[in-house]
Amino acid sequence: MKQKPHRETIGLLAVCQRSPSWKPSYSHPEVVVSAQSAGKSDPKSPQAGLPSETVRGFVSLFLALYLLGCALTVAGNSGSGASLLVSTVKSRLFSPWMVPLWLDLGFDYRLTYGQLDDADHVIVVEPWDATAEAQAIRFPAAGSSGIAANRWRTLAGWLEPEIVPEEVAGLLPTAMAESLFDQLGSEDLRVRCLRFAMPERSTFDAAAEPALEQATVARVRRVAGSVQLLPVEEQRDVAPVVSPASDQGGTP
Amino acid sequence: MNSQPTVEPVSFSQQFGTSWNAFWFLPADGRPLAVIRILTAVLGLVLWSSYAADLQRWFGPDGVVSPEVMATWRRAYGVSLFDAATTAASLWAVYGLGFAAFASLLVGLGTPIAAPLAAVLWVSILHRGPMLIGPADDVLAILLWCLVIGRSGDHLSLDARLRRARGTTPPGPSVRNRLALSLLGVHASGITIAAVLAQLKGDIWWDGTAAWWLLSGREHTPASLMAAMAASDYLTNLLTHAITLFEIAFAAGVWVAGLRGSLVALGIVAWPLIGWLSGDLAWGCGMATLGLAWAPETVCRWSGSAGGKSLVAGPG
Repeated sequence: MKQKPHRETIGLLAVCQRSPSWKPSYSHPEVVVSAQSAGKSDPKSPQAGLPSETVRGFVSLFLALYLLGCALTVAGNSGSGASLLVSTVKSRLFSPWMVPLWLDLGFDYRLTYGQLDDADHVIVVEPWDATAEAQAIRFPAAGSSGIAANRWRTLAGWLEPEIVPEEVAGLLPTAMAESLFDQLGSEDLRVRCLRFAMPERSTFDAAAEPALEQATVARVRRVAGSVQLLPVEEQRDVAPVVSPASDQGGTP
Repeated sequence: MNSQPTVEPVSFSQQFGTSWNAFWFLPADGRPLAVIRILTAVLGLVLWSSYAADLQRWFGPDGVVSPEVMATWRRAYGVSLFDAATTAASLWAVYGLGFAAFASLLVGLGTPIAAPLAAVLWVSILHRGPMLIGPADDVLAILLWCLVIGRSGDHLSLDARLRRARGTTPPGPSVRNRLALSLLGVHASGITIAAVLAQLKGDIWWDGTAAWWLLSGREHTPASLMAAMAASDYLTNLLTHAITLFEIAFAAGVWVAGLRGSLVALGIVAWPLIGWLSGDLAWGCGMATLGLAWAPETVCRWSGSAGGKSLVAGPG
């Protein structure tokens, strides 16, 4: 029986439902042999294993929606911002079901831009009046490697002033200190975020240990059960104060 | 009477529909997906156990990631089974359940239950501590959800052994396997495109120094490789451009049947190497596992199946 030529369709669902036959990979790409397309009941026909048109249609619809959602999540989580249109469509139609499944992802794995926040970070917590290094606790512990240590480094990276939003900057230091008051036996702690220095190629010394530099520091204390985050003035390099009087040879 | 079949021109929509059906719905053998299941479970066990040592310090009643901290980082609509674990004992119980789910997935015991359970628990722990996660965690989530769709326990599993012991007919190719493999393949290509686009926004990926900055600023650095790169501009440039070129070739080339096998084979080596260079070997292994979906006939050969080729034409 000769099959009628199929009508042109524009919708994806219609295309998949009306697709006349499974075409073997060895057939000519430009033509289809109608006599083969009638073989839906033929068990040797590759189409025999395909699900029904209705099932294919529904699955195709869901796939198209999902792939659109994926495209929007990549566009909307790019790290370069997103347009109002993309973010609105994504947040209203796709985020409600893609976020719980951990599928609302940008996959923008830049690996590195050579910036400070690309360096490894560590957190050091110690009593505010500590005099000995032994009283400090470091996360991850010095020399530790592996995925657990990487998780600590990722957490420490969130203390980096360059990337953490100002309104939440104090949350993690406070939480770190709260969990360590008893262990350190002090109600007044210093929480430091240190980053490993990123040497230029020209200054690299293979024999030297990687150097640490301070990214940020916070003071957290507990007074009568209330936890307080105190601002810490960073020490800055300043020019020596020269009194005008001494310049003029007088007594300052 | 002319018995010759008539030949009709094929429209674009028909071609597209036929290709779409073949890509998503042609029944596929379960062995490649079984191999991916085993590799995913190994990766899952490694990543899951990375929470063990500090589980209470992070998520315990007095942990660093307190409900207030978590609420600040967690995105709208995020939910976690770990929210219900408010005591140390319940936290260990949920954690232990996840370990059991991944172990079951590895050996293929009760796979239709183990796969969704592992996926749900995995995204739960990610939502519980979103400030602790890295790229490998995202990739594992994708792998697990695709395993939920496919019938990954039909082969290389205790489920299959039990079925044989009962004398049940071994399952044949399945549309669910094809859907899972194709989704994995699309994600492998899509993630690579997104990653390479993100990289190319940085100048260092153009001036050829990115490989140096991948290693610089790390606590544990391969000093000999850094010394070699410090001594040679060309080596640094070569490594940087090789990463970019591989990613571009992988993202686009896997859609070309003639290049697919070679690129997947290259990816098995290249992805873990890139992961190691960037300090996240697990991510590299996850990407290599995702890439396997593009060459199921190769995976079939590894897993000892001779007859899979016609059944596993691969996504695309």
